[in-house]
Amino acid sequence: MKFIHFADAHLDSPFLGLSFLPSKRFSQIQQAPNQSLSKIVDLALAEQVDLVLIAGDTFDSSRPNPGSQLFLADQIKRLTDAQIQVVMIFGNHDHMWAADLLVPDSPYFKLLGDGEQVETVSCQTRSGFDYDVSGFSYLNNHITSDLVPNFPAKTVHYTFGMMHAQERAGQVSQNVYAPFNLSELKSLNYDYFALGHIHLRQILSETPLIVYPGNIQGRHINELGVKGCYLGIINEQTKKTQIKFMPTSPIVWAKATLTLTAEITPNDLRMHVLASLKPESTTYYSLQIIGAEYLNDQERELVQDTNYWQGISRELAFESQLVDVRFTTNSRLEIAANDQAYFTQAAEELFDPETFAKLGQDWIKKDELAAILAQDPQFLQEVKELAAVKLNNNLKGINDETD
Amino acid sequence: MKLIKIKIINFGQFSNFTFDLADKNLNVFFGANEAGKSTVVAFIKQILFGFHLGKRTSDFFEDYKPLARVSPMGGSLFFTAENGQQFEVERLYASGKGSKLGTLTVKCDGQVVPESVFFDQIKNIDGDFYTASFIFNQDMLAKVIDISQTDLLERIYYLGAANSDQLIDLRDKFAKAADKLFKNRGSLPPVNKLLTKMQEQRAQLDETEGEFTDYQTLESSALEQKNLQKNSETELHNLQGELNQIEQLRKQLPNYQKLLELKQQLKEVKFDPAQYQLAQKLAVQQQNLQQTIAGLRKRLTQFTDIAENARAAKLVQKKPELLQWKAEYSSCVQKAQQITQAEQQLLALTPDLQQIIGLNQEAIIKLQQDYQALSSKQPIVQSDNSNNRIWLVAAGILPLIGVILLVTGPRIVGGLLLIFGIIGACWAVKQQKLQENRQAAVRAKQAKVKQMQTAFGQKYHLNPETLDLPNLLNQWRQYQLQKQNEQANREQLANLQEQVDQLAHELSMVLNHNVPTDFAGVIAALDSLAEQEKQKQHQEETKATVESSLAENNAELQQVNLKLKAVLAEAGVKTLADYGQLQIVKQQQETIKTQIAALTANLQDDLPQLAQFLQDEPKVQAKETALRQKIAAVEEQNHTLQGQVAETNVKMAHLASSTAVFTAKQELANTQTLFRNQSAEYLANLFASKWISRALDLASNERFPKMLTDAKEYLRLLTNNRYNNIKIDKKLSVTRADGKTIKVKYLSRGTQEQLYFALKLAFVQQVKEQINLPILIDDSFVNFDDQRTGQIEQLLKQIAQTTQVLIFTAQKKLVEQLKLQPLTFTKGTENV
Repeated sequence: MKFIHFADAHLDSPFLGLSFLPSKRFSQIQQAPNQSLSKIVDLALAEQVDLVLIAGDTFDSSRPNPGSQLFLADQIKRLTDAQIQVVMIFGNHDHMWAADLLVPDSPYFKLLGDGEQVETVSCQTRSGFDYDVSGFSYLNNHITSDLVPNFPAKTVHYTFGMMHAQERAGQVSQNVYAPFNLSELKSLNYDYFALGHIHLRQILSETPLIVYPGNIQGRHINELGVKGCYLGIINEQTKKTQIKFMPTSPIVWAKATLTLTAEITPNDLRMHVLASLKPESTTYYSLQIIGAEYLNDQERELVQDTNYWQGISRELAFESQLVDVRFTTNSRLEIAANDQAYFTQAAEELFDPETFAKLGQDWIKKDELAAILAQDPQFLQEVKELAAVKLNNNLKGINDETD
Repeated sequence: MKLIKIKIINFGQFSNFTFDLADKNLNVFFGANEAGKSTVVAFIKQILFGFHLGKRTSDFFEDYKPLARVSPMGGSLFFTAENGQQFEVERLYASGKGSKLGTLTVKCDGQVVPESVFFDQIKNIDGDFYTASFIFNQDMLAKVIDISQTDLLERIYYLGAANSDQLIDLRDKFAKAADKLFKNRGSLPPVNKLLTKMQEQRAQLDETEGEFTDYQTLESSALEQKNLQKNSETELHNLQGELNQIEQLRKQLPNYQKLLELKQQLKEVKFDPAQYQLAQKLAVQQQNLQQTIAGLRKRLTQFTDIAENARAAKLVQKKPELLQWKAEYSSCVQKAQQITQAEQQLLALTPDLQQIIGLNQEAIIKLQQDYQALSSKQPIVQSDNSNNRIWLVAAGILPLIGVILLVTGPRIVGGLLLIFGIIGACWAVKQQKLQENRQAAVRAKQAKVKQMQTAFGQKYHLNPETLDLPNLLNQWRQYQLQKQNEQANREQLANLQEQVDQLAHELSMVLNHNVPTDFAGVIAALDSLAEQEKQKQHQEETKATVESSLAENNAELQQVNLKLKAVLAEAGVKTLADYGQLQIVKQQQETIKTQIAALTANLQDDLPQLAQFLQDEPKVQAKETALRQKIAAVEEQNHTLQGQVAETNVKMAHLASSTAVFTAKQELANTQTLFRNQSAEYLANLFASKWISRALDLASNERFPKMLTDAKEYLRLLTNNRYNNIKIDKKLSVTRADGKTIKVKYLSRGTQEQLYFALKLAFVQQVKEQINLPILIDDSFVNFDDQRTGQIEQLLKQIAQTTQVLIFTAQKKLVEQLKLQPLTFTKGTENV
């Protein structure tokens, strides 16, 4: 038996930080998730798989636009027409009723666990191999309770679990995506647990297999690397499962770094930037310039200018793009040695998430996005680095005067 | 650093005036208004930090100018340091000489030392710092409203990090930059604008995402519309069907009417086509027969009467006979020739015959007898004894073999053979003897014969020796026979000729012309006659046939007439023409019937309706009109529905291809990205600012937070627990016991002053380790009521334990409360 597992297609989702791109390039990336999904379906047909598991967040919204709905319906029809069983669940983004889907009725299509009720479906492959799939779909954007206890015990059949969920961790307020403990999931001992939600591809457990396939197309610089789906091959005698990652995303997001150790001419900077970007396929780069304090204000402004990025991008292979430049300092704050410790301690205190949240509360309270960002360690780090760059840059002046 | 003595040379109203503070931490200067309390405060400050002679501003009134008549301006302050060192700080200014700040001289333990020896111990603070931190007076109290964190911090951090003032500037710069990007209650800063924009775009997206439900709604309404359309089409179909039926009936109406007409024309006609056919056939027969009869009659008239001639007929019949005769005649002629030839041949063949031709029968018999007599004496020696000899040989051999066999072989056979041999030999010997007897008789006879033969030759001229009489006789007989035949032949010829003649004669008679008597002529005449006779006979036969035929036809005609009459009678018509008429009528009826059948078959199901239709035409008309109206209405409805369906489909297609949601999302995402970036910028600024603050806090040993803690405690004490919290942001505010936060400007004057005291004292408490200078409280409790005064007294006493406090007051009561010996401003008092 063969199967494909993918999740988090986020069809019709926007792309962050690309608004400056020319419209042609932008529509190219806009099409990327659809292309990736098409490729997965192509793969399913070519491999003649028996089953396709779609582990939630197929749509970016609980009210997906009709175009995306119809696109998915078409893709699923391609599979069901080939008598490939499709089992799909809803995630926290596309929390809906099964009835909201425009996918035409087919014995080969099953929306599993409508209304947040764990449901099991028993199927058989063309060769007569029996398997069960258990899982649930979101109806609301949050599920605060752990639904793993609601999953049935494994039967004699090969058993798939399906869940759009996040491992329990951190603050209670963050555990709103059907939080589970890996140990309890393991103890279910299903043959394959198909997860969705985390956009980073990862295998939580090898035995039994518990897998996040990641999303199918990176949409911003925090969704790095090649994206796609897992192709599973089950030995029907031993029920042993081999899985293989199959890349399908037409565009790859990547981080590149450039370290400056001394002041540099704009021309050399450009050469260095180009040298640090070596795409092997269509790649969208975020460039981190370490040692940004060696750039003056104008230079910093220049390398953060989208026109500058476009100029760089024109020289990149595979229509790759430079879409982001970030600065970090590569040294300690330029501050009197006596005070270094105070600043370090201050940073530790200030950039503690709770302090951060307290100090930024006026801003955080203004908007849900701000609240989300305030909880995003990456954003915190970004702010911290930016603050450090700013501080360092200014302290340099102070110390210069002092010296 | 404890102030122990104030020595005024010239300052304000004072000249050569000294206050001895007697190493006490808490001193009270008591004097009425205008006694010089504030002057002393200004003196202490200016001796330490310079005269106030330039155009500098100050937080309080300290514009004390040098008096022209007394010189120099200034005096000394005497301090005891913590380490026990004795300092004298002297500042003097003479008009027009030196710095306007005055000339400073510092002595440590009586020795002039660089001023830094003293000022390093008070961290090189400036006059503003001292004023702001250590001097309490009405002017300063008034400024409590304007106290900001910055002011406090600047001074407090002054004691911590290097470059703290620049760091504070930087901090403020970041704070300001942050403030430019985002204000809690603003709407114009970029982040605030983006917030608004995001909210708008979210609303926009929410609205756009309505496409989802719109599509669902459209889908269900499309389904509904399609059903309606289907129903409407069915209805239309049914109505159209009804209308068609009516139209069909209307179309069929002429046919129906014709059917009725035809039915009326229908009548019973008795007509048997077979009989009619028979009648027709009979009529034809009748006609044919009549024609035949007429023809026959005509022929009969053509026949002439033919005379009967039996003689001719008889003659004609003689032809075979004649031919027979002819043949016989020819045969006779031929025979005659043959006979002659045969006679000649006979004669030629047998010459002796000539001798006896003329003899008659009797002569011949005589001859024969003669000859026979002659020939009977002739011996015949013809016997042969050879046979006998063979037998003798055989008889000899057999006994020999028999003897041999007796000796050598079977004795029986040998014996038998011997016996037979002996018998045979006996028989053969007897035969030999008989033969010899016969030959002797023959030779006697032969001599007698010879004689007779000569006699015979003479008589008949025939040699008897050579004569073969039987042959000759035979020839003769043959010759005679020929002669007889010749005679008979001749007779027959004559006879034949006679008969021919007779026949010719008769023919001449019959034919009325001479007929040659030769065969050819007679035959020709006879043939001619036969021809005549044949023709006559043929004619007769024909006539007979015609007559017979006529009779037959007549009979048949009679029969046909009868039959025809019978048929016509049965059909009830007089003539065949009538019968024909009847047939036409019959055919017409048949046609009508066929038409009726066809029409009936055609109209079949519609017949009842057609009958009804014909009966109720107006009603039907009304129904039709109603139907047409209804159809038009349903068509209109259908059209509308079609339009709606099309519209829905277009809408659905529009939604399906709509990028509105994506656009809205993307716009929101773009804004969110901007918001994120701007927020990061804002937060980076904010946190850079906070970072510096916090670092300064840490560097200043967290004096500020501690100070704030103290200040809160002091305020609580001063307000008797009515206020328990102080917030220092950009502006000060306090929190009342009931939790309500009140801005300073809304506080009562007394409370404002209490807050001021609390903050300032707290500050001094914090810096005392670094900067231990006396606190100067100048007439600051005027607005304090008794209770408050009591509270401040406690506080002052508490503070005075670690920090020197100089109180300048006009309030007797306070002095009494403090239970201290006050210093007074009257010259020559105990102060000096």
